[in-house]
Amino acid sequence: MPVFSFLNPAFLWALPAAAIPIVIHLLSRRRLPEVSFPTTQFLRDLEPQEIRRLRLREILLLILRTLAILLLVLAFARPSLTPHNTVAHSAAAVAILIDDSESMAALEEQARPRIEIAKERAAAILEAARPGDEISIATSTRPDANGAGHTTDRVRLKRALERVEATSLPAKMAAAILEARRALQRSRLQARELYVISDLQRANFAPEVRAEIAAAAGAGVRIYLVPLVQGRLPNHAFQDVDPQLRPGPEGRGLELRARLANHADAPSDRVAIRVRRGDALIGGGDITLRSDEVRWVSMPLDWRGAPDAAGSAGPVILESDQDALPADDRWYAALGAPRSLRVLRIAEARDGTPPPRFAALALDPGGDGTGGFTAETGTPASLLSLSRSRTDVVLLEDVASLSADAEAKLRTFLRDGGGLVVALGPHSDPDYYSAHLFQGLIDLALEGTEQAAEGAPFELKARIPGHDVLEGITVGVGSTLTQSRLTALIRGRVTSPRTEIVVQTTGGLPVVATAPGVGVFLSSFSDDWGDLPYSGAFVPLVRGLVSHAARASKTSSTGSLKVGEPPVARLLAAPGAAVLVRGPEGYASQAAIESEGTAYRGVADTPALRPGFYVFESGGKTLATVAVNVDPIESDLAPIQTDSLLMAPRGMGPAAAATAATAAPGPAPAGRIAVLSSANALATHLQDTRRGRELWVTFLLAAAIALALELAVGSARTLRT
Amino acid sequence: MSENRPRLLDPHFVSKLARLDLTARLVVEGFLTGLHRSPYHGFSVEFAEHRQYMPGDPLRHLDWKVLAKSDRKYIKQYEEETNLRAMILVDTSASMGYGSHGITKLDYSRQLAAALAYLMLRQNDAVGMFAFAAGQGEQIPPRSTMGHVRPLLLLLERLTPGGTTNFAASLHSLAERMTRRGLVVILSDLLDEPDRIEQAIHHFRHRKHEVLVFHVLDPQEVSFNFEREAVYVDMESGERVTTRPQELRPDYRARVGEWRDRIRQYCIEKNAGYVPLTTDQPYDRALLEYLSKRARLL
Repeated sequence: MPVFSFLNPAFLWALPAAAIPIVIHLLSRRRLPEVSFPTTQFLRDLEPQEIRRLRLREILLLILRTLAILLLVLAFARPSLTPHNTVAHSAAAVAILIDDSESMAALEEQARPRIEIAKERAAAILEAARPGDEISIATSTRPDANGAGHTTDRVRLKRALERVEATSLPAKMAAAILEARRALQRSRLQARELYVISDLQRANFAPEVRAEIAAAAGAGVRIYLVPLVQGRLPNHAFQDVDPQLRPGPEGRGLELRARLANHADAPSDRVAIRVRRGDALIGGGDITLRSDEVRWVSMPLDWRGAPDAAGSAGPVILESDQDALPADDRWYAALGAPRSLRVLRIAEARDGTPPPRFAALALDPGGDGTGGFTAETGTPASLLSLSRSRTDVVLLEDVASLSADAEAKLRTFLRDGGGLVVALGPHSDPDYYSAHLFQGLIDLALEGTEQAAEGAPFELKARIPGHDVLEGITVGVGSTLTQSRLTALIRGRVTSPRTEIVVQTTGGLPVVATAPGVGVFLSSFSDDWGDLPYSGAFVPLVRGLVSHAARASKTSSTGSLKVGEPPVARLLAAPGAAVLVRGPEGYASQAAIESEGTAYRGVADTPALRPGFYVFESGGKTLATVAVNVDPIESDLAPIQTDSLLMAPRGMGPAAAATAATAAPGPAPAGRIAVLSSANALATHLQDTRRGRELWVTFLLAAAIALALELAVGSARTLRT
Repeated sequence: MSENRPRLLDPHFVSKLARLDLTARLVVEGFLTGLHRSPYHGFSVEFAEHRQYMPGDPLRHLDWKVLAKSDRKYIKQYEEETNLRAMILVDTSASMGYGSHGITKLDYSRQLAAALAYLMLRQNDAVGMFAFAAGQGEQIPPRSTMGHVRPLLLLLERLTPGGTTNFAASLHSLAERMTRRGLVVILSDLLDEPDRIEQAIHHFRHRKHEVLVFHVLDPQEVSFNFEREAVYVDMESGERVTTRPQELRPDYRARVGEWRDRIRQYCIEKNAGYVPLTTDQPYDRALLEYLSKRARLL
C-alpha cells in the first residue's frame, strides 16, 4: 500500500484554521438582527422551495471554504505519497554503473563531455542517499575493478566518483551488469537497485546485454537506465588502415589506404586527412561520405626510408578533422615494408587446355608486380612446396578438391599468417569444400550448383558497401555491382555470424563470403558462368578479395589491435633476453614469447589502456612496433531505443541464462526496469523513491479549485439578486 | 404627481403636524386648492347666492326670473344637501403599527381618515367611523354636522396598533349593524386570509353598500428592500423566520404582487373600489379616488 506522510508536519498545527469558516458562520447566525415585520406569511410560503435551496448552497459554500483552508494547510505541510514498490522506507543496496567507454568523451552541448553529465547524475544519486544505503560505483570498461565497493562511506564514494573519467576502452556492458548484480546479491539489504548511467550506444547493447538486464531484473534488482543523450551525434571515424603500403598509381610512389566511416544521418562535410610520420607531414587526402557510409580512401605518400630489421616501414599517425568524438579522429598505424602482395594462383588444366588467366591478369597485368600484386600460377601439387616466406595469399581457382597433403600444407600456411581466396567454378566439388577445406576457416556450407533461369541470369548486389573486398568499387547498399550477369553459381549458406556475405544475388544467394583471412567467390572467375571477367568490376573485385585475405591474416594484424587487449607482435627471431613492452603514458609490461610456425609471437602481460605505439624491446633493441587503436564500435554515437531495453530479448545470452537460472526467484521483470531519461526525471524518481512523491502542488491546485468553486457559487447567488 | 404639489398632501410633512383637526383641514384645503373649478360645489334645494352665468353651466340652474326682469343671466347656487352616509373603517391591528420610514401604516391611515372625514363633512355628507382589530371595534355613527368632526378626530387620535386583523368578525358585525345604504371606506393593510377579506367585502356589497378599499402598505412590504440576513418577526403572530432578503426578494415581490392583484380583481368583480397605497404616497390620490367614487354614487 502506498504510504502517505508529511514532510513539514509542523504546519499541521494550522489545521484548526479550517474551522474558521464554520465559526464565522455560527457566530454570524447567532448575531442575526431581529426585524419586526407586518407579516411573515409570504416569507414562510417561500421557505420550502427557496430557503432550503439557500441552506444547501450555504452548506456547500461552507464546505468549500473549509476545504480550501484545509487543503492549503495540508499543502504547506508538504504531503508525500510513497509508492509501495519503492525503497523509501528501507535502506537499499545501490549499484551505480557508469559507462566510461570511449564514447563518453563525446562532446555534448557547451562542449561538455558525456562523462561529466554522467558524473552529475551519479552525484545526484549519491546526494539522495539516506543513512543506511549501501552504494557502490562501478565502471563499464573494467567491471572487475570496482571503484568503490558497497559502502555507506559517502566521502569514499565521492572520491571514487571524482576519479571516474572517460577511457579509451570499449564498454563491456554485459559483464559490468553481471558483476553489479552479483555485488548487489551479496548485500544483506533486500532492496536492491542498479543505476546504469550511459549514453546507451546501440552498438554496446547487444542482445546479451539486454539479457543481462532482464536477468538482473528477474533476480529482484530494480534497474534504472539513465540515458544521457536522446539523439545521434554525427561522427566520422577511422576504422582501419591497411598497414601494407602499395605502389602508387602506375607504379609511381607509394599509397596508403585508410577506411573511414560516417556515423551520421546526413552526409559528412569534406573530411581532410593528414598522415604524419614523427613530426613530418608525409601525405594526406580528403573524403566526403554519405550517411552511414564506410569507405576506403587511398592517399599518396611522400615516403623515404627503408624497412627496419623486423620488416616494418615505421609508425605513422593519421589524423582527420576533429568532431564529436576526438579519439577516433586519430589512427596509429605501424606500416609494413612496401612491397607487392605475392599471390600463388592454383588452377588446373583440363583436357590439355590451360586454365583461363582472367584472375592472373586482373592482379598482375604486366607480370612485373607494379600493380601491387605479383601472381604466380601453379597446380594443386604446387601447394606441397607452399612457403609463407614466398607467398602471401593462395588463390584456388575452380579447383575440384585438394589432396590431404596439399590441404595440410595450406592449413600450415594459413596458420603462419597467409591468406586464402577460393573462387569456385563448374569443376569444384562443393562437398569437399564444405566438409573439409572450409572447416575452421570459414563457416560456409555449399549445397550444389544453382543455374540461373533461362533469360534471368543472376544480378550482383553489394550487401556490405565499404567492405574491404569492395574497396575499389563505389557502390551503395543494394546497388547493382556490375552490368554483367552470372548464369550459375554454387549455392551456399552461411552458418555463423563470423562469416559475412559481402555480395549476393538479387534473390539473396551469397556470391562473395568472407571470414578473417579468407575470401570465397561462389561463382567462377572464368567466363564459364557468365561474363563477369569482361566487366569493369572484375579487376577491383579480385584485388579486393586478395587484399582482404592478406590484410586479415596474422602477418598484417598489427594494425587491428584495440585498446583493452594486450599488445601482440610478430617476431621474426627468438629474442635473446626478456621482452619488455613500452607504450604511451608510462605503459610498461613484460611479454610472453610463443612459437608461431616459423616465427614467434610476443604477447604483453598487461592490456593496452591507451591508443598509441607499443614497442617490443629486448636487451635495449627494438624487436617490433605495433599500433593500438580505439575500438571502432565506440564511434557510432547512435543511442539504442530505450523501449527495447524494457523487455527481455527472445534469446538470452549464455551467461545471462546461466546466472538467471541461479538467481533468486523474483517477480517478473516487467516494471522492474525503468528509464530516467533526463536530469529532472532522475530527480523526480529520487524524490519519489527516497522521500516519496510530493503532492503539495496537487493540494494547492485542489485548494484553488475549491476557492474557484466557492467564488462561482457565491457569484451565482449575487447574479440572481 | 407634479412637483408643485402642496406639501400638505405629503404624508411626511403632515405627520409632523401635531393636531389632527388642523392637519385634516389643511390636507383637504390644500387638496381642493389644487383642483380646478370644483364640480363638487353643491347643488341642493337651499338657495345660497347668485353668480353670473358662464357658458357650460346647466340651464336648469338659470334664474329665469332674473333673466326676465333684467335680461341678465344668473345662476342660482344652493347649499349642497346630500343623503350620502359614509362609514370609514380603520384597521388598528398590530401590523398597522409598522413603518419603515418614520410613518406607520396606522399614522397614514389615521391622517387619511381624518382628511376624508373632514372632506365629507365639508360636503355635508354624514360620516361615521369604525376602528377595528381582533374582532372588536369602536364605532361612531355617521352624522353630517361639522361639529361631528371632533369626536371622529378624537377617536382617530386614540387609536393604537394592537391585536390581529380579523376582517370577518369585525366587518361582518358592522355590516349587520349598518341598516342604511351608504359608502364603506376601508383603510387596512388587509393582512388577513384573502378569503375572509373577500367575504367581508361581499357582505357589504350584498347589503347594497358601496365599498372603497384603501389598501395601505409600507413601501418595504412591497419592495422588501432589506439588505442583511435577519430574523423577521411577525408583528401579529410573533412567528420568526430567518431569511436572506436578497435571495428571496424577487419571489417575495411576485407573491405580494399576486396577493394585491387578487384583491383588486375581486374588488373589480364586486364593483368595489380598490386603491393600493403605500405610506410614502401623497394623500391626494386617495382623496381623488374618494371623490370619484362619490360622484358615481350621487
